[in-house]
Amino acid sequence: MVSNENEDRKITTNELLANYSHAIQSGLDNGTAYIKSFNVLNETQDTQELLSAAVKLTSFQLDTDFVTFPHKFSDEDIQLVFLERLLTLSGIENELVISNPEHVQKLLCKFSELGDKTFTFSRSSKNPDGFFFGPTMMNRPLFYVNLKAKELMFHGSSLIEYFVVDLEGIKTDEIKSALQVMVKAAQILKESFGFKIDFNVLDSVNGEFYAFASGDLPDSIMDELFVKSAENHFILMSAQNGGASLTLDDKTEVTVYDAGDASRPKWGATIHDQDQKESWLCLLLDYPFIKEWYLRNQKQLEILSNQFIFG
Amino acid sequence: MDRQTETDQFSQNDDQLSSALNQKITYLNDLNDSVKNGDDLKIYELMDPNRFATELKGEDSDQPKASFFGLASDLNAQLSHHLSDKLIDYLGATYPFFYYHEYELGKFNVYFGNWWDHRLFGQLDPINVRFDFAEDEYNKLSQSFSLETDNKRVNDDEMRQLAEKNEYLTKLIQDQDKRDQRKEAIRQQLKENEEKSPMPWEAGKVKEERQRLNDEMLELTKTDEQATNGRSTIKQNENEILVLSKEETILSLEKQNIRATFGSFEAFIDNNNHLYTKYLQSLDKESQVSDGE
Repeated sequence: MVSNENEDRKITTNELLANYSHAIQSGLDNGTAYIKSFNVLNETQDTQELLSAAVKLTSFQLDTDFVTFPHKFSDEDIQLVFLERLLTLSGIENELVISNPEHVQKLLCKFSELGDKTFTFSRSSKNPDGFFFGPTMMNRPLFYVNLKAKELMFHGSSLIEYFVVDLEGIKTDEIKSALQVMVKAAQILKESFGFKIDFNVLDSVNGEFYAFASGDLPDSIMDELFVKSAENHFILMSAQNGGASLTLDDKTEVTVYDAGDASRPKWGATIHDQDQKESWLCLLLDYPFIKEWYLRNQKQLEILSNQFIFG
Repeated sequence: MDRQTETDQFSQNDDQLSSALNQKITYLNDLNDSVKNGDDLKIYELMDPNRFATELKGEDSDQPKASFFGLASDLNAQLSHHLSDKLIDYLGATYPFFYYHEYELGKFNVYFGNWWDHRLFGQLDPINVRFDFAEDEYNKLSQSFSLETDNKRVNDDEMRQLAEKNEYLTKLIQDQDKRDQRKEAIRQQLKENEEKSPMPWEAGKVKEERQRLNDEMLELTKTDEQATNGRSTIKQNENEILVLSKEETILSLEKQNIRATFGSFEAFIDNNNHLYTKYLQSLDKESQVSDGE
């Protein structure tokens, strides 16, 4: 505290200077603490240290009344540096790289498979510790991460809008490998730090239920899938609970059914495949007729994501 | 006629009665044993010995055999259920595309295929070893087979008409701007027409022009209305097309399955007509094989 007007005693010059010096010192100490964590973020070989450095640096008040720093990395930048370094430390190198490290500025990254398209983080308006990752200058939050609360959630319909619709024309393999980088990062967070992850449309575990937005599903939508499948030489078979299943290439099986009951229908889909690699998003990429079906009936078929976080 | 002869005439009555009762008892015992032993072939013989003789054994039908099935005919439902077990196993191999649902004891719905929205195709009658196909469904399939030789489908015409209607409506909707421009031009022309103060000998011509413009305007307004309602009509038509193409998809799957199993629709019909004989022959063969063991 530099001055206190409530005290009647007059402050001496000596005290004033001491207070000033003290304030500068604590501002510098604050800066030193920041740099210490910053160096850990940049240099550590230990992922646990990396995470705690990133958490410390997020929302770090670097400037004080007496010491301010004109060049600062934003909290969004910290998330991106963390993500890139986490991947590198986990042996996934050069798949996602920060593309503009020349100056202290808003950092962007690129996926090696997606050419010049850049991606970045932006802060959630609901939670200062939460950040959305998405393509630069587009309102498409692909996932949400909160390092402090240890959670990461993918946003199904944004992922589909971006990777299936916006990037139409780009090779499926390239899109898949970019997606794989994000999935890998989430898996590392889950396994190394116990993050809670919602993989949503990227979940390729057999039996994962992808819930459709419109609990109930009119027959005509299923009829359409039946007709479209037959045109592509796949036969939609009737299955339990009034549902239907489709056996695709390599015995990949998609089942669409009502997991609810008559009073509260809850339609959705599951995928079973031998290698547990096929997610809902991959399915749309791999089978254009399913993609068309999904997009034509998107209002009903949209896969639900966490509505509080993304709403 | 005296009483003595009367007695003589019917003196055999009790013996005959007893023997007739014994025959019935034997019949019911035989039926009961066949049920217990799972001898379905014997059951079929006991239920209709004449059909059995002519259709399986190829014997002449001029000497009808006595049939006692009347004694057990009130057990039709139970017998049907019993017989369905092996019959459906057999049909599972010979008609792999049919699926059965026993909706009440001994009564079976037949579904064609197990694909999405498969059709209820009729009934299975295990007592008579017969399919009773639903007429509508069967006729549609039959029609589809016969149209196919001309490279046509049952719903082609209707689907084409709907598609054409939609194309027309889409064009109407797209042409709204053009119509609006034309209407503006007509309004302008009408205004000019009204401002004219024609010479008497020209009055008819001016009136005629006005009439023509008004008519065209009315026509355009009607078209506008059609275009306004167009979107919902297009959606309706699309739904109808979907229903029709679903039906075509189902018919095509049915045809594929019949071909894969029987080679042709004719062979399928032929097999249906001889189902009793074929099935009983297979039961016969089976019993011989198991006897030989």
